Amino acid sequence: MELSDANLQTLTEYLKKTLDPDPAIRRPAEKFLESVEGSQNYPLLLLTLLEKSQENVIKVCASVTFKNYIKRNWRIVGILVEDEPNKICESDRIAIKANIVPLMLSSPEQIQKQLSDAISIIGREDFPQKWPDLLTEMVNRFQSGDFHVINGVLRTAHSLFKRYRHEFKSNELWTEIKLVLDAFALPLTNLFKATIELCSTHANDASALKVLFSSLILIAKLFYSLNFQDLPEFFEDNMETWMTNFHSLLTLDNKLLQTDDEEEAGLLELLKSQICDNAALYAQKYDEEFQPYLPRFVTAIWNLLVTTGQEVKYDLLVSNAIQFLASVCERPHYKHLFEDQNTLTSICEKVIVPNMEFRAADEEAFEDNSEEYIRRDLEGSDIDTRRRAACDLVRGLCKFFEGPVTGIFSGYVNSMLQEYAKNPSVNWKHKDAAIYLVTSLASKAQTQKHGITQANELVNLTEFFVNHIQPDLKSASVNEFPVLKADGIKYIMIFRNQVPKEQLLVSIPLLINHLQAESIVVHTYAAHALERLFTMRGTNNTTLITAAEMAPFVEVLLTNLFKALTLPGSSENEYIMKAIMRSFSLLQESIIPYIPSVITQLTQKLLAVSKNPSKPHFNHYMFESICLSIRITCKANPDAVGSFEEALFMVFTEILQNDVQEFIPYVFQVMSLLLEMHKNEIPSSYMALFPHLLQPVLWERTGNIPPLVRLLQAYLERGANTIASAAADKIPGLLGVFQKLIASKANDHQGFYLLNSIIEHMPPESVDQYRKQIFILLFQRLQNSKTTKFIKSFLVFINLYCIKYGALALQEIFDSIQPKMFGMVLEKIIIPEIQKVSGQVEKKICAVGITKILTECPPMMDTEYTKLWTPLLQALIGLFELPEDDTIPDEEHFIDIEDTPGYQTAFSQLAFAGKKEHDPVGQMVNNPRIHLAQSLHKLSTACPGRVPSMLSTSLNAEALQYLQGYLQAASVTLL
Amino acid sequence: LRRQRVEVNIELRKAKKDEQILKRRSISFSLMDESVSLGEEKRNEIIQLSLEEIVEAVNGSDTELQLQATQATRRMLSRQKDPPINQILELGIIPRLVEFLTHADNAPLQFEAAWALTNIASGTSDHTKAVVEGGAIPAFISLLSSQHMHISEQSVWALGNIAGDGPLYRDALINCNVIPPLLALVSPVTPVGFLRNITWTLSNLCRNKNPYPPLDAVKKVLPVLVCLMEHEDKDIISDSCWAVSYLTDGSNDRIQIVVDTGILPRLVELMASPELIIMTPALRAIGNVVTGTDEQTQAAIDAGVLAVLPHLLRHAKPTVQKEAAWTLSNIAAGPCQQIQQLITSGLLPPLMELLDKGDFKAQKEGVWAVANFTTGGTVEQVVELVQSGVLKPLLNLLLAKDSKTILVILDTISNFFLAAEKLGETERLCLLVEELGGLEKIEALQTHDNNMVYRAALSIIEKYFSGE
Repeated sequence: MELSDANLQTLTEYLKKTLDPDPAIRRPAEKFLESVEGSQNYPLLLLTLLEKSQENVIKVCASVTFKNYIKRNWRIVGILVEDEPNKICESDRIAIKANIVPLMLSSPEQIQKQLSDAISIIGREDFPQKWPDLLTEMVNRFQSGDFHVINGVLRTAHSLFKRYRHEFKSNELWTEIKLVLDAFALPLTNLFKATIELCSTHANDASALKVLFSSLILIAKLFYSLNFQDLPEFFEDNMETWMTNFHSLLTLDNKLLQTDDEEEAGLLELLKSQICDNAALYAQKYDEEFQPYLPRFVTAIWNLLVTTGQEVKYDLLVSNAIQFLASVCERPHYKHLFEDQNTLTSICEKVIVPNMEFRAADEEAFEDNSEEYIRRDLEGSDIDTRRRAACDLVRGLCKFFEGPVTGIFSGYVNSMLQEYAKNPSVNWKHKDAAIYLVTSLASKAQTQKHGITQANELVNLTEFFVNHIQPDLKSASVNEFPVLKADGIKYIMIFRNQVPKEQLLVSIPLLINHLQAESIVVHTYAAHALERLFTMRGTNNTTLITAAEMAPFVEVLLTNLFKALTLPGSSENEYIMKAIMRSFSLLQESIIPYIPSVITQLTQKLLAVSKNPSKPHFNHYMFESICLSIRITCKANPDAVGSFEEALFMVFTEILQNDVQEFIPYVFQVMSLLLEMHKNEIPSSYMALFPHLLQPVLWERTGNIPPLVRLLQAYLERGANTIASAAADKIPGLLGVFQKLIASKANDHQGFYLLNSIIEHMPPESVDQYRKQIFILLFQRLQNSKTTKFIKSFLVFINLYCIKYGALALQEIFDSIQPKMFGMVLEKIIIPEIQKVSGQVEKKICAVGITKILTECPPMMDTEYTKLWTPLLQALIGLFELPEDDTIPDEEHFIDIEDTPGYQTAFSQLAFAGKKEHDPVGQMVNNPRIHLAQSLHKLSTACPGRVPSMLSTSLNAEALQYLQGYLQAASVTLL
Repeated sequence: LRRQRVEVNIELRKAKKDEQILKRRSISFSLMDESVSLGEEKRNEIIQLSLEEIVEAVNGSDTELQLQATQATRRMLSRQKDPPINQILELGIIPRLVEFLTHADNAPLQFEAAWALTNIASGTSDHTKAVVEGGAIPAFISLLSSQHMHISEQSVWALGNIAGDGPLYRDALINCNVIPPLLALVSPVTPVGFLRNITWTLSNLCRNKNPYPPLDAVKKVLPVLVCLMEHEDKDIISDSCWAVSYLTDGSNDRIQIVVDTGILPRLVELMASPELIIMTPALRAIGNVVTGTDEQTQAAIDAGVLAVLPHLLRHAKPTVQKEAAWTLSNIAAGPCQQIQQLITSGLLPPLMELLDKGDFKAQKEGVWAVANFTTGGTVEQVVELVQSGVLKPLLNLLLAKDSKTILVILDTISNFFLAAEKLGETERLCLLVEELGGLEKIEALQTHDNNMVYRAALSIIEKYFSGE
């Protein structure tokens, strides 16, 4: 593409189209741009447009397109990936690097940001070697005095250098950092000093201050990046300058920089939080050098905390500041800074307690954004919150001052509880803070439980529970003081291991009752608490709370759980659904009377959410609950399976017809479970579905493969005869699935699961005509790509075949493909690789199969195969006695191997739809070693003298010894 | 996995303050030494000569003026502040000063020239280079055998500065056979001050890698160092320990040469010295030895290193803690028998303290010690480690601002889980990790910017904390 006006015009038009809301216009334009992006000058055309276009929207669009283009294409992937050629020619690369910095700096902010990102992407690849002048070019701009330009440079530098914060130390990285320090550290320091001076000369100019403070924030961030890996000599020498200025910035305030916004942090807050981070970095990593400055920072940060308000916009600053104090106070040599009783009291009173208070913003979240509130409060994603930081500070202080701190807080807890008691409706927040203090302080004692006895308790947990938690939960109205209810329920959850069981039992009806609370947080917590209590383990690995103890509450529990799902905001509440699942699992057969209603409600739910599945956890637990209902009911009454099919099939059909991708794998699993419940021949409703399951399109989705294979296995297990008689024309389709799976390295084990089921269950005559073809397919795959996983599955298969059809049949089918093939398979595959087979059942199958080859295959005794007899026996003894060979050749490490493919389908996403391990050899052979001994004995009676002579000639001594052990155990001798 | 001292050749930090000095200048203290070196009179105070006069006099043939000018030069170079080395260098008089070294008939001139050259050589590499290129090496070496002790001593000093410049000049000196005459100066009657100089110069001859000093030179120097280490002067002991620390900072065959001298028990004894200047290099030397083979490490253990380490792990100085923890980490990288000795000698409690409250640099090394322990230790040993309370401080260090440390901790946690799996205690370990606040930290690391860190965190969560 030439750099012509015509091309600029064309490009402008296409860019415009990419902004069109109509996909019919937008998509082709995007396709076009993609098709030309390999052409020379394309990036330069974009740069020209973003600089010179008349329309601002095109400028912005060109800059975004350019950034994305750089992101996709700048990196030259190694030669290994041939289908990703270098799309940007060298001359374009040079031109981009020569122009982009000045262009970025002269652009308006919106475009500057895009170009700055592009520079850092390019820098990541090319800097410093292939872009040597970048640094000087940037540093030179510091002198420009134009802070729009300077901020552009700083922003770019920040995106280039911030990786120093997370990358591993390496020669390459440190060489780069050294280079950057040499060129950048001094100018940055001078800029820092100059900017601070300008701040005082412009102290009354709001707009100038804003720009200057943006620079200071970026400078402080750069300081963090440049000092992260190690303390550079330059910064050690200039610590005085940096730290003195950082310190005075911490204490600075200027009305002009205060913002009205309550939520969004202003420039002052951002700068101060970054300075707290910088100080924390030095305190953690360069303590020795930083020591002289530290006390000043402690004082400044503490004052900052005492004077900072409760607004959300200060959250980051406050939590960073507290985290700084927390990390410092647990250092032995700073102990003295905190030691004084007044200091401690004042920290507790002025820093910790205020930040543990339930704020207006928390209250808002509790009511209006409960999902987020729960996530923060329950799942601990509250790392940056004030409460969390305050807790960390408490824990830090306890390291040296546990006694005094506990004393101070005990006083607080009591006084806050008294305040509450005076006037609950006004002072409920005091109680919330008290509970929060107890939870955060006592959970420290909980960690000490292991090993040390609880030395110093803030309160007696059980007493507190009985006196202050239960009364709230026992109150008549479940909707009064919802925050306190949530606190109380959370208390039960957190201290469930500490509170004695009888108290937990008292709490259960209270929790069930609170499932009816209107507050989403409250009923969610109630469900979650119940779920947690139901999973607790007592002695003997049984559940702590038994089904018998729950008997009086079954009905109300189930009713309230399902009702909770109808409360506003909770129609797809995963905690409630999980509690349903857990209740079923605990209650077992006591739920049977309620199943008709339960299953109706579950199917309705299923139908409703299948319109638009959006909550994966909810959906998962819903299917688990369905599986549990089926299992529990059918265990007591196998005939009930029909009623489940009746209830579910309608919805399932709809899901399959509408192709609800998220649900289809689940449906197959539930169907497998249902089908396996049938004791007799397969019902016709299933047979009607059978042909559809073989449709290739279903097998395109990898998520479908494991559950579909599982389902087909269930069909074969229950309905092999029906398939052979009524659907014989579908056998080629079934084998087609096998063929497709076997061709894939990722799915070949699934193909073997299917094949093994075919061999095991189908009447032999129904597959006779296909057998040879099956073996040929397997050999083709062996020749094309022989992986360890394939070999393992292959070995299991041929031995299963041998067990099912006899050793002679195995030998014959191999040799019918090609003469002497059987010997080759023995020599090249079975003998050398059998040690790799893993899994109990798999090993047993192989042992029995090989025993048959050894003892029931005449050609092994009197043809050229005879020389393989002893090595095969030796390999079998090895399989019994040697550790499994789990080595994998290096070149296979990159293949996506499922963890433990075995004879069984390992896939069981639904825990409660899982099936028992299936052993096709089963009772036929109990102990394979004894079986070997007996079989050898039988063989030796048939041809006396032969077996001992073969043994004595070439079996190694150790193996012989093992073998004699087997013979003795079986009480047989060889003739 | 034993970690050598240097992983990265690039340093961002200031040169280590607690390391031995590479080059030293000989400074005049006020007028005191004037009267000593010039004897009687305070004549005409100090002769002030301009630079031009100096050049003229030095190049002239009047020996009295030569001496005056050389002395004036030396005096300028010996002043406390800002010696004008560059200016002197530009005068181009160095070859002439070197020549004065050979004036055996004029001892005062030899001495002044030697002193001046010593101080020039104490400057930057370029300064040293100028002295060497002026031909000073052979001249100084022959002055080692001067009958005047103060000249010989000054030459030792000058040679020390040259050797300290780097491996190139160090080897140039060795090739000029500096070692035999230098060693010959060591005798029971050598004054302590002189002996300090000799020891220091010897240590510089042992110093620096890439390449190491030649083997036969090392073999010649070592027996003398072994003797010097028994001296009662702490500077002499310190410098000889430094020398040994350099010799052990290398491949295993280099370490072996030192081990073979039987010096390890003495080094371990010196590690326990209350004198920082002795303990520091002794600790470094032993630290280097345990980077070697299992047998070499065993030799250090047999010499008693494990009894001394607890004290050093608790030392007030961060660098000492760090060095001790590094040493411990390499012992923990040994076979389980050595790990057992480490346990039996009571190293776990101080290691726990260090992980909990030590300096960050030391904590980092402590993390390695734990990691190595869990890699090589038996299941029982790992259990013992857990019982000694390692989890709490280790999990706290997941907040460290250092990606590598975090990754090592995550790997260590995986090791703990592997051991727990073998014992069927996975669930208990999960509980413990969660109770100690480890789970939330690992969860938070799933968003870490470093790929390997986030993958390691993710894999722990998936393996042990995602099931129901």
